[in-house]
Amino acid sequence: MSAVAAPAKKNYLTALREALDEEMGRNPDMVCEGEDIGILGGAFGVTEGLQAKYGKERVIDMPISEACIVGNAVGMALNGKTVMAEMQFIDFISCGFDQIVNMLATYYYRTAGEVNMPVVVRGPAGAYGGGALYHSQMNEAWFCNSPGLQVVCPSTPYDAKGLLKSAIRSGNPTIFFEIKELYRKREIEEVLPNEDYLVPLGKAAIRREGTDITLVSYGQNVYHCLAAAQELQGMGISAEVIDIRSLVPLDEQAIYESISKTSRVVVVNEAPMTCGFAGEIVARISQNAFKYLDAPPVRITRLDTPVPWVKPLELYVLPSLEKIVSAAVATVKY
Amino acid sequence: MSPNSGTATAVKAEAPPETDQSRRPQDALTKEDCLEILKQLYLARYFDVRLIKEKKRGHLRGTLYSSHNQEAILVGSLYGLQPNDWVSPIHRDMPAFFLKDAKFKWDDRERMGLSIEEVCAQVWGKSGSPGRARDNWSHIGSRAKHIIHSTSMLAGTIPTATGVAYADRLNRGDAVVVTLNGEGSTAQGIFHEAINFASIHKLPVITVIENNQWAYGTPNELEYALEDFARRADGYGIPGLIADGQDVFDVYDKMMWAVDYSRAGKGPVIIECKTFRAYGHGDHDDDRAAKYRPKPEVDEGRKRDPIAVCKQALIEKGFLTPQEANQWMAEGKNAAEVSNDDFPPEVVQYLDRGIEFAVASPVPEPEEAARWVFKENG
Ligand SMILES: Cc1ncc(C[n+]2csc(CCOP(=O)(O)OP(=O)(O)O)c2C)c(N)n1
Ligand SMILES: [Mg+2]
Repeated sequence: MSAVAAPAKKNYLTALREALDEEMGRNPDMVCEGEDIGILGGAFGVTEGLQAKYGKERVIDMPISEACIVGNAVGMALNGKTVMAEMQFIDFISCGFDQIVNMLATYYYRTAGEVNMPVVVRGPAGAYGGGALYHSQMNEAWFCNSPGLQVVCPSTPYDAKGLLKSAIRSGNPTIFFEIKELYRKREIEEVLPNEDYLVPLGKAAIRREGTDITLVSYGQNVYHCLAAAQELQGMGISAEVIDIRSLVPLDEQAIYESISKTSRVVVVNEAPMTCGFAGEIVARISQNAFKYLDAPPVRITRLDTPVPWVKPLELYVLPSLEKIVSAAVATVKY
Repeated sequence: MSPNSGTATAVKAEAPPETDQSRRPQDALTKEDCLEILKQLYLARYFDVRLIKEKKRGHLRGTLYSSHNQEAILVGSLYGLQPNDWVSPIHRDMPAFFLKDAKFKWDDRERMGLSIEEVCAQVWGKSGSPGRARDNWSHIGSRAKHIIHSTSMLAGTIPTATGVAYADRLNRGDAVVVTLNGEGSTAQGIFHEAINFASIHKLPVITVIENNQWAYGTPNELEYALEDFARRADGYGIPGLIADGQDVFDVYDKMMWAVDYSRAGKGPVIIECKTFRAYGHGDHDDDRAAKYRPKPEVDEGRKRDPIAVCKQALIEKGFLTPQEANQWMAEGKNAAEVSNDDFPPEVVQYLDRGIEFAVASPVPEPEEAARWVFKENG
């Protein structure tokens, strides 16, 4: 007889599925909608089993119309429902853009607080997987630039579940960026609590403590930063790694506190540089934490290009371990 | 109706010729045409099964959206077009890129279609691809060859087609623009927006709907509420034809009617081709599709292999003896079951040449990734 089996580790995708399942279970007014989310269980399987459990009325296989998926969610929210709206790939969220930025984002504001929108628009995002121009995007900046939307991007299974639950319960519209390259990544699987838990929006996580330089990122770039920190350690540089987890609201304080210690910062983000969120972080640091800085804050981002398909080209435009390490070294030497 | 409604009265679309069996365009096809059509079906099928095999051997990256069982739509839609006409294929239409203007001149580099070498170089992710492999698989095209560049966003290129048609009118051209689409893509607002525009201006845009009864894991009844999708055309006051998507000659007939209609300046046409998706949505979906699609439905949907249907028609036309028809037997076989011996040797050799070129073609230099964001001088 073996001893009590160790609790199973779970991947990022399972964590998301559990969050949806549990929220659907505790809230009879919650509905899920999206392309192929019911019969198929989602292109990646995030919603697998939900339709069997909660029925076709609450887990809706939608026609291929992102605008209608979002707009219909707005109507359901107006009439008292909480909605999870899946984008099959976050790249196609642009087909529902108007419904998001003009309808969903502004509802609460223009009704002077009468109608809030408990709607989470979520979907797989991110590059590094050979997905090419239309299956690799990180277009979070569009939404950060649309007041009224929360924007979230978890990097771990624990956060994926806890942040998704927080977003669903927040009563605010949220664009939830899931990193598809992390969905089934073995190395990041972890044991999740049995009991209900939330990860608060607007609270950053320190993934590694350090004293010489701060690396700020989110999504899969967190792992590039952690790998860079490891390499920097071998060079005698102690890097602190911050995972902001939610972009709107943003935990600025955590970043400033870290910089007050390290005096140096590199912000890493796989979205293009111009008007990307890395620029926003750097701008805030420059304005609010200038006194701590011993070197100019640096951005490592995607080049201002789309994401090309073939591997050498894709990697050429994206942030990498090497690019982060050399930027960190240069910043420390500044 | 108000007596003053005048020109605002909706134009009733010309009745399509579905019942007129006496003047079928296919009856004007020569024996050589018909045998070429059969050979093109073999070519489309072989391209598909060969890529499935190459992918299984680990030679290819990306998703393969099989056109198996839907080849008659591609061949029948393209065969009667003029070289100058435009085509807009999507993910399931890879063979369309090299079938365009291929009639009797597969090897002619000047023809108005992509060469097999270019298409293979694209699939292999090499610089010999017309898009230098910047985007994947079907996401290629060619202005020079009048092929609208395909992208991912479903129905997203239908307004491109209207724009091409409008510009052609400004240029005093006489091209028609044929767009190929899955039925699922028609739920996009842009489908409506584009066809509405085309119908207002009577643009020669022919929208072919490959109705394979599934959009990924979603069946027809959750995509639209019509018995026949073609009836969607009624709302625009344009003709909506229905073709048997397994029968290359029926597709050809409907397309030729549409081409005459559109080229004559009468406006856009929708052609619904009824067919069935042979495998999973993409090769990543084969296992799951086996669960969400009941086997009897799949067997029924694949019962009439377009190659077999074409052969039968050729026998009836007196262009093929039953013996000749049995020479190559690709029909009814999955990629796993079929071998090179089931195809005419010239078809196999044609693809061999394409693949040879693709394998030898270099991967683009990484620095290329930064180019062509904005117009370059020179
Ligand atoms: C705007 C948009 N939303 C979602 C997708 C993801 N997607 C790719 S193919 C597909 C199904 C397409 O079905 P259909 O149009 O019937 O074509 P078929 O694959 O059956 O040939 C979906 C949902 C997409 N490519 N574009
Ligand atoms: Mg379909």
